[in-house]
Parts: sequence; C-alpha cells; structure tokens
Amino acid sequence: MNAVEAPAHAPKTRTYEKPDKPWQVVVLDDPVNLMEYVSRILIRIFGFSREKADQLMMMVHQEGKAIVWTGGREKGEMYVNQLHSAQLHATLEKAE
Amino acid sequence: MTLAPTLNGGLKLIPEERQDWLVLLEIAVDASANLAREFGGLMDEDSMWDEIVVPELEAEFSVQRKHVLKAVKKARRAKEKEIVIEPKDADLWYGALNQARLSLEAEYQFGPREFAEPEEIQDPAMRSAFLRDEFYLTLQSLILRYVSTD
Repeated sequence: MNAVEAPAHAPKTRTYEKPDKPWQVVVLDDPVNLMEYVSRILIRIFGFSREKADQLMMMVHQEGKAIVWTGGREKGEMYVNQLHSAQLHATLEKAE
Repeated sequence: MTLAPTLNGGLKLIPEERQDWLVLLEIAVDASANLAREFGGLMDEDSMWDEIVVPELEAEFSVQRKHVLKAVKKARRAKEKEIVIEPKDADLWYGALNQARLSLEAEYQFGPREFAEPEEIQDPAMRSAFLRDEFYLTLQSLILRYVSTD
C-alpha cells in the first residue's frame, strides 16, 4: 500500500455567501382608511415628503398595495408595527 | 347634533337628541376587539406577531375605545351636554372611530363609498350600520380637518 502524502497546504477555498434578500414593508388597500389619513401616517412614520406620501397613497388606492420601505427584517417589523398601530393594513414580504 | 371647530383647535360636539347620544355610545360598541388579531393574520409565524405585537395593539386599541366611551358618558351626565375633542385626544377619537368603521366593514362589506347607496340596503340592521358608518366617517373627516396636528 502506498502512503499518500498529505498536501503541505490545504487548498484555499473561499465561499461567498449571498447576502440576504431585503424585506419590504407593503401597505395594503382597504375601503375604510381615508386617503388623507394614509398620507399623513406615511409622513409621520417614514418622514416622507407630502408629494411622496401622496404618490404612495395613490398607488395603494389604485393598485391595491404599495411597497413603502425596503431593508432589514427587524426594522421592517418595527415599521409594520407602527402601521398596524395606526390601523393600516400592512405586511412584511421578502423582496423577490 | 351640532359639530363645530373651537378656537383652540378642537372640535365641539353638541348632541341634541337621544339618537345623537346613542350613536356616540355606539362607537365603542361597533369597534371590534378583534382588530389587533386580524392585523396579526397579515404577518408570518416567524415574526411572533401574535405573541408579541398583538397584545400591545389590543391594549392600545382598548384605550381608544374606553376613552371615547368615558368622554360620551361623562358629557351625558354633565350640566353642559357637549363633548370637546382636544388636539391631544385627536388620535384616540380617530382611532376608536376607525376601529368601529373597520369592524362594520368586516361585518357588512359596504365597499368603496362611491358605490354604496343607503336606500338600496334592504336589511334594517345593515342600513342602520351604514348610517352609523357615514356619521363616523364625517366625524373622522372633521377631526382630520380641524383637530389633528400633523
């Protein structure tokens, strides 16, 4: 039996981990919440300009939902918590 | 019922008839205690929403309902039969009204306002709920316009 010499150096391997996909805070439409109220809540929570808040609010109204924020899960959950506290229908989804 | 903005940024409600008091008392009745749990249903299990967030939301929503009920009962017993919604209480009133409207919508599915016509509603309970919802909506709009500080 021939002895197999161990290589002097273990082959170097480098693994690249894919960064986690970001999370999206999604506001959903409902027939109850007033459009003006939705805009005000988006400004209050996210600090959006009135123009951006109105734009996102209209997207919620016309398309049924709008992504209002993208980032880490923990912060996203904090935002959804604040949106629920304001009684807006919202959820957290992993970005596609 | 008379509704009027006050000079210090509030909104005064002056109920004049028995029905006025009843509709104000109905706000807390219509507001469902299940709303927080319904919001929890929008989140996945990993978020632990039901365990952590829902109890907090339930407590918060309960405070809103109790505030409105207490204010109406207190005004009904008082010499001056009026309620003033101060700016500091705007969120409590708006929230209680919103809870009531979300609950009524969940039960009756009125849909978007522009498609709903009260005279076409045959069921008396549903028609009554729709008219209460209309009143709550009016009150919310006035709070946003005259009282909210945002």
